[in-house]
Amino acid sequence: MVEFLSILIIKTLVVFAVSMLIVAYSTWIERKVLGHVQLRHGPTRVGFHGLLQPIADGIKGFFKEEVVPDNADKPVFILAPIISIAAALSLLVIIPFGDSVTIMGHKITLYLTDLDIGILYVLGISTIGSYGVMLGGWSSGNKYGVLGGLRASAQMISYELSMALAVISVVMVSGTLSLVGIVEQQAGLWNIVKQPLAFFIFIVCGLAELNRTPFDMPEAEAELACGYNVEYSSMKFALFFMAEYAHMFVFSAMVTTLFLGGWHGPLLPGPVWFFIKTFALIFFCVWERSTFPRYRYDEVMELGWKVLLPAGLLNILLTGLWMVIFNI
Amino acid sequence: MELIMLLLCGGFAIVTSLMVIFAKNTIHSALWMVASFFFMAVLYLLLRAEFIAILQIIVYAGAIMMFIIYAIMMLNIRQEEGEKAPVRKSKVVGVVALLVLFLELLVVAVNKGVLAMHGPITDQLMQKYGQIAVLSNFLFSDYLLAFELASILLTAGVVGAVVLAKQKQ
Repeated sequence: MVEFLSILIIKTLVVFAVSMLIVAYSTWIERKVLGHVQLRHGPTRVGFHGLLQPIADGIKGFFKEEVVPDNADKPVFILAPIISIAAALSLLVIIPFGDSVTIMGHKITLYLTDLDIGILYVLGISTIGSYGVMLGGWSSGNKYGVLGGLRASAQMISYELSMALAVISVVMVSGTLSLVGIVEQQAGLWNIVKQPLAFFIFIVCGLAELNRTPFDMPEAEAELACGYNVEYSSMKFALFFMAEYAHMFVFSAMVTTLFLGGWHGPLLPGPVWFFIKTFALIFFCVWERSTFPRYRYDEVMELGWKVLLPAGLLNILLTGLWMVIFNI
Repeated sequence: MELIMLLLCGGFAIVTSLMVIFAKNTIHSALWMVASFFFMAVLYLLLRAEFIAILQIIVYAGAIMMFIIYAIMMLNIRQEEGEKAPVRKSKVVGVVALLVLFLELLVVAVNKGVLAMHGPITDQLMQKYGQIAVLSNFLFSDYLLAFELASILLTAGVVGAVVLAKQKQ
């Protein structure tokens, strides 16, 4: 019992620390890559090539003045960033970083838990995360904030559906909801080969759920002056920011798990492959941000409801047909 | 341990449900409802019904409450409505209906005991095959008719919503 608990606690700490480090450094990746794409340098002053910049930003966040607007709904205003970050962090629990390893005679699995309902947990908790954005916008008592919050919730409701449909077709192929099971089943052939359409839908919906360009309607600077988090300052703003990047990490990890074979790969050990794939996807997120212009709001809705949703349904239908015909 | 969790979460579920009624701000009311759904989900977890618990969170706490909060935000009801509307009749009906429901539950519980304990879905079965496998096995064999009827009902709801939305244009 004690051994089990101590292993669990150590694993939790390691997962938390590594993930927070990745979250912090994905801001650095974002600024650096964006800079170089736009022919600038990005952060260069703090540390070698600005490597200490995320830490400096964190310290700065702690020391800034905390402002709560007069006409804000105070309890909800404080609750919103907490919901955001809590949901993002609870998603870290089920990411399968790798298979099991044996250290000093103990068999240690490289994931915190393997839930029977794994992928549903991801969908459910990420929905809860979007409450943070929505309530944050509403509670600040600012028109831009409310508009940003409304846009965010409408967008998330619309794209969640298609995302779930893409996930369903993966589950159909795998025959399990557990993330570890899905990865193990991809040992020979990755799901991206079996489900190319679902992969595409999942990526597009994921970008919309993350509120990233070309779907960054909730915080379109030019229209909404930053949107839902316009009234937030200091650490509360930083929590929103961290939640956003944690979601980006989780999204990349989910794409890796569902479509790119998770920890499977030749020569290198499992976790290394997992991180290579995940970082490639994080890079993709930044890359497309610097490439695509923003969609108009009605175009976002149209794409979600008139293109991705029917495509998701069609994909499920085709997958079902394929499974019946080839008797899988 | 499980009993403590059960009592705690059951208690919190009741308290948060009461807060839904007594909160003056509409959004706060909706948020208390989300909290209440979460405690309900924990109750399902204690029954080892992971799947039902996560559906509770996805469908109720996630989707439905999201729509409700969205509607409230669109209507922009922010001021606290303090006046107490005299709706005596509906209150009486509500209390009577509640008592009848409670009595029914009591009668069933006294006569037959807790029904789930005698069902074919046991802990051992779930541990062997996993909860989702057991559930889907029953859903797509014994309860297929009910399942199909429920999906027809939902489809009818969707079609009805589309018709209502189209009429306005």
